[in-house]
Amino acid sequence: MKNRFIVNIIHRPEMVPEYAEKVTGQGKAEDIGRKALLTESLDIFKTQQRLAHENGLKTTIQMTYASLFNDEAVAIAKEHHEKYGDEIALTLLGLPCKEFREKYKTKDFCIWMFSMEDKISIVNDVFEKFHERFGFYPESTGSYYMDAELTNYIKETYPSVKCAVATCWEEGPKAYHTCNNSWYTLMDGGPWAPWIPSKVNTHAPAANEAEDSGIVAIPHLSRDLLACYDGNGSNFGTHPQNVLRGMSYYKEDGEYKYPYFYNLVDQYRVLGDYNNGIAYNMMFVGPGWMNKMGRWEAPYELLYQSYSDGMKYYGDLKKQGELEDLTMAEWADFYREHKNYTEPECALWKDILYGSDKQLFWYNDPFMRVCVNMEQGGAIVDLRPYAAKLEWPVGIGTPHVQDCSYPFLIQEKYRAGYFTHYAGEGTVRSAKLIHGSEEVDLCLCRTKAKFSEEVMKDEKGRTVELAKCDMNDKKGKLVLPKTKTSAGKIRKLTLEPVDIEFSDLKVKLQTEIIFGEGSSDIRIKRNILEMSDPKAELKINEYMVACYGTTEYPEDMTCVTLRAMGALDSYEKGLESGRITGIDGGNMSSASRSIDYAYKCREEYVPDASAVNASIRAIKTLVTMTGEGGKNNVGYIKEGYAFSPMFTLGYTAELSAGDTYTTTLALERED
Amino acid sequence: MAQLGKGRLNYRCPSCFMRDLDIDMFYDKEKDEYCCIRCQYRGNEEDVLAKNEMARFRYKSMKKRFTMEELRQ
Repeated sequence: MKNRFIVNIIHRPEMVPEYAEKVTGQGKAEDIGRKALLTESLDIFKTQQRLAHENGLKTTIQMTYASLFNDEAVAIAKEHHEKYGDEIALTLLGLPCKEFREKYKTKDFCIWMFSMEDKISIVNDVFEKFHERFGFYPESTGSYYMDAELTNYIKETYPSVKCAVATCWEEGPKAYHTCNNSWYTLMDGGPWAPWIPSKVNTHAPAANEAEDSGIVAIPHLSRDLLACYDGNGSNFGTHPQNVLRGMSYYKEDGEYKYPYFYNLVDQYRVLGDYNNGIAYNMMFVGPGWMNKMGRWEAPYELLYQSYSDGMKYYGDLKKQGELEDLTMAEWADFYREHKNYTEPECALWKDILYGSDKQLFWYNDPFMRVCVNMEQGGAIVDLRPYAAKLEWPVGIGTPHVQDCSYPFLIQEKYRAGYFTHYAGEGTVRSAKLIHGSEEVDLCLCRTKAKFSEEVMKDEKGRTVELAKCDMNDKKGKLVLPKTKTSAGKIRKLTLEPVDIEFSDLKVKLQTEIIFGEGSSDIRIKRNILEMSDPKAELKINEYMVACYGTTEYPEDMTCVTLRAMGALDSYEKGLESGRITGIDGGNMSSASRSIDYAYKCREEYVPDASAVNASIRAIKTLVTMTGEGGKNNVGYIKEGYAFSPMFTLGYTAELSAGDTYTTTLALERED
Repeated sequence: MAQLGKGRLNYRCPSCFMRDLDIDMFYDKEKDEYCCIRCQYRGNEEDVLAKNEMARFRYKSMKKRFTMEELRQ
């Protein structure tokens, strides 16, 4: 099946571009009404539109509040809608202008940071101004981030809205750091590809119609899923000037070249392989990036050339029948026609810039966002428990004025991962093999993965049916579900076997990682394929070191309770039903053990444990691990200490050649 | 000594860039050099450009154009 590659190209006439006043106005007193600034901004918008149209591409014009006061910008939008089929939409970026400052008496410009009262007032103001200029309400909107309360208000008040730019992927503490701690877009932990946000938390996709916010969200830019995870998000995206900012271009024979940009677009085309043939890409370059004064080290000529080349590449793909250009509203319709709530977004991503063989797998669904790192033996290095659908209001008057990130349980960059300095542990989900006094962590076993999609079978080999819903009609109106069933699917990563060498034993091990559609479980199988001495003793230690947080700094862990559950009839029934829920002290057998986190470095071990879990009340999340296989299965829990504010859930067992050890990690909300 | 100003282009500090910091430099017209006001780097345009080339050492695939087959895994 040939992949369908859909592209959204978005332009905004931002009359006072971010950066422009700081950069071009250096040495001058601030004046955002400067005529030269307004003229230049509009010129850049016109240039961007021309380059798209010359390459046969239609765009979504996101009018800014400031541009609604500009007759020429309004006239251009109307003309291009008529002539090229461009969508006229409305962004909540670009609020700053003389009119806004006089009315709202503030220099704030990020819609999600305002108080709810101001958000409502601004939305009403901007949407009504748009209606006044165009005679209709927009179908698409957006900002760098759209908090759930904001989206819910917009959808309720202006139901025509069906699509929104709603987050910047992994634009969080790393971007803040890159900007010398002066750029407050703290929004890690969201999807990298389009999704339907839940009504409760924008980053967490809706699991069903009841949770559906009513919009299809798209990320601000399509970003490099490896480079942006480790580095500054604004250096590695399908945004030609981001590529210049990252300096991943070069000059040869008097010409500037940036194959990385094309590689990035092409890797997004390949993502259709993992997503039922649908691949998505977006480009959204604000006018501030094409400043006539140049940007960063790049003169205007290079800024222009890179944008022109980017448009030409998309245009050429379209001419070859390899690309479909849709407006945002058209994309929202397309998305709802082709996707269902539980279908995950998957990306097996390879390094295309640093020359390594590194491979990451990203998985995103209504219950979790996961990153698996093949360079670390298939360890889970990032985990966001969307199953909790955590309420997280942002803006002035809330506990999170700027921080929109969905909390993590595991984040190897902010909480060390496998390698720590001299003491303590970092967050990661991996396993260790132990033989005698030697121990090898799979984090040091580099490998590669293959992706597969298979029909889900139960224990008797029968196909598992999933409820499937049609979500809306073609006009974007929500409709009641026509419940029908479809074969449930699993997405599976099969890792190439790794060799583990002890002083007197060699072991060949293969890992499989399985995600069931519609499930909040991650199943990991370790298959012992070979042992140089079949009678040798071998022990496995499956573990997850975790904590919670949104930034680089530790949080108060006293909200965590750890439990290791002994075998118990009533609890086993819970396991048989496939879910572990509502565990509390009253259900625990005498063999069970628990620890209320107090930084006391305690550990508990329970033979034949039916489950081990951690309740993290600050993020309303219960994470549970079960383990089976081998002999002498022991579940354990470990508290951390002040210098290592983590907890560990794990299982140990003895294995022989041919054995498989299976663990399941389950995520759920716990109030 | 007069105040620092903006140079011909908006050069960032190459030393800070290599630690993932984008810091605009300011220009000393008397000494014809750019100065980082966060770290200790100072250098003329030629030196900035040379150091920027050095910063690209980590992009080993920067000049490689991958085929679709190479991107499929």
